[in-house]
Amino acid sequence: MIGGNPTATNSVSREDGAGFVLVRLSGEVDLSWSQDVRRVVLAAFAGDAAVGIELSAVGYIDSSGIAALVEGLQQARANGRRFALVAPSDAVRAVLELARLDRVFAIVADTDALLASA
Amino acid sequence: MTTARQRIAAAHAPPRVREADALAFLADLSRSLAVSLDLRETLPRTITQVRDFLDVEGIALFLLDAATQVLECKVSAGPVDVTGLRLAVGQGIVGRAVAEDATQLVADASADSRVWRAADETTGFVTRSIVCAPLRTAAGPIGVIEIVNRRDGKPFTDVDAELLDLVAAPAALAINNARMAGALLEQQRLKREFDLARHLQKSLLPRRRRDAFPVIGVNRPAHEISGDFYDYFELADGRIGFVVGDISGKGLDAALLMVRAASLLRWAGKDGLAPSAWLARANDELCETARDGRFVCALVGYVDRAATRVQFAGAGFPPVVVHRDGRYTGHVAGGPPLGILRGIAFESHDVALDGGTFYAFSDGATDVRDAAGQPIGLAGMRALIARHARDTPQARLRGLLGDLKRLRLVDDTTLLLIEAPQAEHPELLLARTLPARAEAMRELRAELRATFDEHGIEPRLRDRLVLAVDEACTNIIRHGYGPECEGAIALRVLRSDATLGIELVDDAPAVDPASIKPGTLGDCRCGGLGVALIDEVMDEWRIEPAEDGCGNRLVLRKRIETWACEEADES
Repeated sequence: MIGGNPTATNSVSREDGAGFVLVRLSGEVDLSWSQDVRRVVLAAFAGDAAVGIELSAVGYIDSSGIAALVEGLQQARANGRRFALVAPSDAVRAVLELARLDRVFAIVADTDALLASA
Repeated sequence: MTTARQRIAAAHAPPRVREADALAFLADLSRSLAVSLDLRETLPRTITQVRDFLDVEGIALFLLDAATQVLECKVSAGPVDVTGLRLAVGQGIVGRAVAEDATQLVADASADSRVWRAADETTGFVTRSIVCAPLRTAAGPIGVIEIVNRRDGKPFTDVDAELLDLVAAPAALAINNARMAGALLEQQRLKREFDLARHLQKSLLPRRRRDAFPVIGVNRPAHEISGDFYDYFELADGRIGFVVGDISGKGLDAALLMVRAASLLRWAGKDGLAPSAWLARANDELCETARDGRFVCALVGYVDRAATRVQFAGAGFPPVVVHRDGRYTGHVAGGPPLGILRGIAFESHDVALDGGTFYAFSDGATDVRDAAGQPIGLAGMRALIARHARDTPQARLRGLLGDLKRLRLVDDTTLLLIEAPQAEHPELLLARTLPARAEAMRELRAELRATFDEHGIEPRLRDRLVLAVDEACTNIIRHGYGPECEGAIALRVLRSDATLGIELVDDAPAVDPASIKPGTLGDCRCGGLGVALIDEVMDEWRIEPAEDGCGNRLVLRKRIETWACEEADES
């Protein structure tokens, strides 16, 4: 399959850095746990740091996973916060393109780029 | 060459031809001959140069026709034009040079009875002295170069003979090269013509019908072009006429007869005559023109659209096989091949298919050899049919042809199959029932990926299809069954021709198709994205009540281009 490893375990974790919160996803983001993803993404907006969603280890994402990302984007816009997808895998990019959302999200290579993007 | 040079230097004082001049001349001659592929232009010039260099009155170049063993003068220069003169191998000094593959020196021609004098007698020319050198190649002499009479009036010597020998070598090489180049061009021209013929032949085969049609065929030539063909067409009364033919012999003339026979058999069948009369009419026509002992084996017949009965007649064609309920019945469709004897009667046969399948195959199929080198015969064909009996008609023909190819096809092979058309007769790629729970989706996706890989769907499209099926399932889980409800989804992945079908059946409350609306792609709002993705990936989808009146049936379809190419390859 394109990008990611289909056997990677599903996980979501959060890293609080200097001026940013990074939500790290791995595995196959689908309906079975996309609500957990949504909660962690929305919680990342509690402070006033920039929010990045790290997606390099995501082997699959369905529309419910994309919906969680879209909610994050809406939250960022409402609060005037920086928000970007960090290093999305080919599998994620393919679905974003298919959904015509690849130009809607800011996509950056790493957290430095996230902080630099204004 | 050393010997010749030494002799040139030693025999003449002062030498008639200086060594340095001779070498320069030979080098020049070799160069101009080596770069020439058009000898009609190069040879006359070369011959004249050689005549002047050797300072002789006449010179002629003869080439040997390998088939007739006749030497013909292609170019000459001198007081008598002998171009076109023909001599047998062994005739005269020229013929002797070839027969013995050795240079001939006749110092005094008047004293030699072997000299062929006919030309002298008609022209008044006097042949005093002759040297003939064969044009040698690895495959033997291909001609002769002859010089007549030194201009200084003296007889030819060994030195002259050896000089001519030296001239003959590059000439032979050049002529041989040009012939090989010509043969190569001829081969390329033939290949182009064969490609064209194959293309034309292929275009004569009927197009595969996409609708519910009872007759399908495949044709696989063993070489560039085929002597086999099949055809089918509809009559005004709704019946379908079919033809399978096999021309005796191979090659371009067999292929041309095939074109004629194919159009003749189609024409003769359009009136709906009984199959026996149809063959008799085609036979009489073919007898008027068929030559060279070529003949045509053919099977013709009619079938109704529902394929309940087949009427047929054969002319030198292998028996047909009817397969029904696991039983195979052979039907010998007697009668001699077409194009041999006028006024022959043929016999019509009639078989009820009753849901069975009618197979006709040219002898290319039954002549295929098994591992022991024996033709597999009808018994072998039955075994092969049994192997693929569960497949759809198209997949069955594909499988049969694949097996025959593995067994080594030695002849053109044509298979024709008649069977009641199924409204939908798809090939089942995957069937699975899964609990309607989001946790079941990961395993299903892995299974779908493996299935799509196995059937040659490229990764990018595979991943999109997996996404679309996943979205369809999660929609059923979320909106069909809802959070409280337990249920199952029955999934079937099907192939019908080049179309992939995905069928999802649930027993959730009936869904109003009008209530399902896709969102807009690129829209930054949630909701409707799953359906929009399905829309984007699939060619078509629809939801309808399941057959037993409870639950829903969702069908997704996508045309797979790589499958379409496979099929185009086979028809």
